[in-house]
Amino acid sequence: MIIVDDVHKRYQTEHGPGKWVLQGVSLIIPPKVSVGLVGRNGAGKSTLLRLIGGVDHPNRGRIERGCRVSWPMGFGGGLQGSLTGRQNTKFVCRIHGHENDISHRIAYIQDFSELGEAFDEPVRTYSSGMRSRLQFALSLAVDFDIYISDEVTAAGDAAFRAKAAAAFTKLVNRASLIMVSHGEGTLRQFCTAGIWLDAGRAHWFDKIDDALKAYKESLPT
Amino acid sequence: MEAIRTPASITFSVWKALFLREAVNRLRTGRAAWLWLLLEPVIHIVSMMVIFTIIRMRVVGGIDVAVWLMVGMLGFFMFNRTATRSMNAITANRALFTYRQVKPVDTVLVRVSLEGFLMILIATILLCGAGLFGLGIIPVDPMAVLEAFFGLWLVGVGFGLMASVVTELVPEAGKIIEFLSKPVYFLSGAIFPIAVVPPPYREWLILNPVAHGLEAVRLGFAPHYHAIPELSVAYLYGFALASIFLGLALHYRFATKLITQ
Repeated sequence: MIIVDDVHKRYQTEHGPGKWVLQGVSLIIPPKVSVGLVGRNGAGKSTLLRLIGGVDHPNRGRIERGCRVSWPMGFGGGLQGSLTGRQNTKFVCRIHGHENDISHRIAYIQDFSELGEAFDEPVRTYSSGMRSRLQFALSLAVDFDIYISDEVTAAGDAAFRAKAAAAFTKLVNRASLIMVSHGEGTLRQFCTAGIWLDAGRAHWFDKIDDALKAYKESLPT
Repeated sequence: MEAIRTPASITFSVWKALFLREAVNRLRTGRAAWLWLLLEPVIHIVSMMVIFTIIRMRVVGGIDVAVWLMVGMLGFFMFNRTATRSMNAITANRALFTYRQVKPVDTVLVRVSLEGFLMILIATILLCGAGLFGLGIIPVDPMAVLEAFFGLWLVGVGFGLMASVVTELVPEAGKIIEFLSKPVYFLSGAIFPIAVVPPPYREWLILNPVAHGLEAVRLGFAPHYHAIPELSVAYLYGFALASIFLGLALHYRFATKLITQ
């Protein structure tokens, strides 16, 4: 369960504080419910995911995580360019306390990311597709109760996307998802509930279809 | 389902992972990076030795100039590497704050530990190497040497903790700190004896805790060394503890701000 209580967020710009991105977002995401986040570009979807994932902090309000929440998957950071894929993998496993079965998890990540020999090359030599495949495999290899996904299903080529979708489906059985996607089909496939972000506020819908409908009605025709 | 980890165990696993990662980064980035870790102090020491030989200075403060230089230089590097490497720890590890287990203070603490660890290895290797050339490198009072080295490291830790926060919050401050720290090399008495400076000016120089540390290390190697009369190991440690406290306080106060965008 995640409690988001009256969260305000704005970013520092070069000219002082910017405009409010989130303005009083309050939500309760119940356990075992997968949620899709919809809203226009710049509505604050990624910002909200980053706040929930604990990567960034709200200016006002608070966020409570009563379970193991992943870092925002598909988000660009988290890999150090000068180190190899394997070294980055070891690091992520270690900080999540998976020291004992680390070789098992490394083997899984190497296999899933399909990096082959590039796994032992520095990450800065990777293409963006390779990077996101590694990031996706990393987050699957660590056990979480809630996975936060920012457009990760769009990573890689068609074959990898199919594989990622299959892995996601398997994931939904043991954990839940909070996801942003511009693919309606993806959202309907994985999510039951929906959140529509509009003008800095969040609206909760028990059904993802209602959230999509509200979102579409808000768009100028 | 595994047990929920305690905060202490999370912090410990973060430190371990960061330490291994920093060590790999430090020793493997660039060509023969590990060799340069050793060579940098060697180059400094040897070039200064050449200059001292040219000006025909054989003895400083009653001890062999080679030992005087080498010991002082190693002590200075202990402080300097710890301080400068940890100052940039937050910027260099920004990508890792994606994982909320990793806090800015962790990256600083891990870097100072790694630098301290590496400097102990480097100092041991270089001193043994100097021993092969017949220099008297067996300290008469090993405990005093360790105490002084540890004190210098602690000053570096305190400096790094404070400077890492300040440079992150006020980027311009980084440039000023860099500029101000240039003369520290000279003012610490690493390459000239502070004892020769006459009193009214020496009072200023001995405000610098690193100068106390270097004199204390030399005194530990050779008790007959004419250290500055104002030498106080208590001042070195007092300065170190005060700056560490202040540094940790800054990290605590700005913990959220450092990772907020």
